[in-house]
Amino acid sequence: MKQFQSWYENHHQYCKDWKARTGGKIVGYMCTYVPEEILYAAGILPTRVLGSHEPHDVTEPHIFGMYCPFCRDVLAQGLKKRYDYIDGLTISQSCLHIRQAFTSWQMHLPLEWSYYLPMPHHVQSPRAVPFLREELVSFKKSVEEWTGKEITDEALDHAIDVYNTNRRLMRQIYELRKAENPPITGLEAMYMVVSSQFVDKADHNKELERVLQNIDGRLADREVGTRLMIIGSENDDVAFMSMAESVGATFVTDDHCTGSRYFWNEAPQDADRLNALAIRYVERPRCPTKDWPERSRIPHLLSMAKEWGVEGVILIQQKFCDPHELDIPAIKKAFEEIDIPTLFLEFDVTTPVGPFRIRVEAFLEMIRGEDLF
Amino acid sequence: MFNVGIDVGAKTIKVVILRDGQPFAQYKGLAGMDTAESVEQAYTEALKEAGISRDQVKRVVSTGVGRKEVPFSDEEVTEVGADSKGIIFVMPNCRTCIDVGAEEGRAIRCDDGGKVRDFAVNEKCAAGAGSFVESMSRALELKLHEMGELSLKATRTVPMNAQCAVFAESEVVSLIHSDTTKEDIARSVHDAIASRIISMVRRVGIEPEIALIGGVSHNVGFVECLERGLETKVTIPDNAEFIGALGAALLAYEGSK
Repeated sequence: MKQFQSWYENHHQYCKDWKARTGGKIVGYMCTYVPEEILYAAGILPTRVLGSHEPHDVTEPHIFGMYCPFCRDVLAQGLKKRYDYIDGLTISQSCLHIRQAFTSWQMHLPLEWSYYLPMPHHVQSPRAVPFLREELVSFKKSVEEWTGKEITDEALDHAIDVYNTNRRLMRQIYELRKAENPPITGLEAMYMVVSSQFVDKADHNKELERVLQNIDGRLADREVGTRLMIIGSENDDVAFMSMAESVGATFVTDDHCTGSRYFWNEAPQDADRLNALAIRYVERPRCPTKDWPERSRIPHLLSMAKEWGVEGVILIQQKFCDPHELDIPAIKKAFEEIDIPTLFLEFDVTTPVGPFRIRVEAFLEMIRGEDLF
Repeated sequence: MFNVGIDVGAKTIKVVILRDGQPFAQYKGLAGMDTAESVEQAYTEALKEAGISRDQVKRVVSTGVGRKEVPFSDEEVTEVGADSKGIIFVMPNCRTCIDVGAEEGRAIRCDDGGKVRDFAVNEKCAAGAGSFVESMSRALELKLHEMGELSLKATRTVPMNAQCAVFAESEVVSLIHSDTTKEDIARSVHDAIASRIISMVRRVGIEPEIALIGGVSHNVGFVECLERGLETKVTIPDNAEFIGALGAALLAYEGSK
């Protein structure tokens, strides 16, 4: 289990070592709607570009101050040359803020290859899959032209298999969190998912299999406390997770693109591999930029809360994140209707642990009201 | 039997002593840089006030931002829990409790049993709390206690746009330069903090009766702005600053029964 944390903490070192070991190319991606399988099939390691949770002052000339702190933190990592090992960069259309980080990176940093993938917003349209399939044809072609190597069906099959295996194993991990005494904490689950976004999935799968073999009875003595779910935008704020789980709570599940949204569904079997991938990305649990006009997130979240025995929900968003600002009032209302209380928190590059602790503790007290009154 | 609730706030420390579950004595002291020392001092003074010794106290519950700095406390409770416990004791029909202290504003909605149903706390910003008024009074060269009365004499509403205590100060300075009266500026300051508090109250939902507690409830200017904004009267219970400490003391009493 420590391995995931170690990967998380040594993201850049892992990638540099991978490059030295394999001599392969690394592509940074800025959104989890990027079809990593195509890159992986080309022998490329996709690595998610994340922030560092350190205050910075380098993005001001490039990104408006009221763009979300995550996209600014991401661009700052580029400007500070923390990702100087990547050969290419890609993004799929999701929100304007992160797209600004992408275009700014393209303008100011050297890249051999970069690609903007127009992932359809209207994923609920019957035309979304054929649309994305055609876009994936162009994406694949661009990768092939860059690497000078054809991506074969066999390579795609292998990549899809490795990725689907990772998704299946992560689902197994999340299933175990339904237990009365979950054998993994929310913090550990976060280390697992976030590390899976940059570690070679074949390595990650091996580690997951190893962990699953030895998981019986793990953390049996740990006080579970209140069962929480955390919902919102990108979140790899381990300081927050660790604080919340130290005051009498356990996160039993989540809906983040650094969490369950990333691995929830597999690519189906289809002789047309790109069609299979298009189906997978169109049908995955949606990010609020794409969940329109029908609000499919809400029933998904409610049923997840029910299945995982959730007693309270923490709703987080990166400050100024418009898509999540749109969804959060509706989500809050839906949970209140089934008597699950919610706590809203606004995240920034750094977490004010003290003030947040007070809110989380008061929230837990509210849930366990009977102890007080 | 004596029980103690101690509320370690950002600016003051409030101690409430109960005898057999009923308020018996209270004390308020300043919270200095050395919290542990200030806590000790406030506790000693409170015991002196009550005329009892330390070993007569059965149980102590601490609350407030510095509640972990109370070495002799038996239990801790958050401000939200303590407030709702305390307010229901003095005002059983209260459903919405607004607590405005030096560094934090809180809105709490409780049910008929006094359980917290929802709450909101001002977001890491001083513009919705008492210290904002204090720093603006400095810019106006007024004593803090003069702000309230003066604000009631205002003749115009001057909107203040700044959402931040630091920027608001420069707005106040420019109002001074444009010969806006101190009265109007004082009201503008109170309107700004009231509007922040009101949006927080609206987030949890407004249900009568509404109580206002915490140190800022002493500020008549703020109260006027709050009531005008909420379009309703709020009730300020006696000893409004001590409600959190009272709630903690009641929990101590219940825990020692």
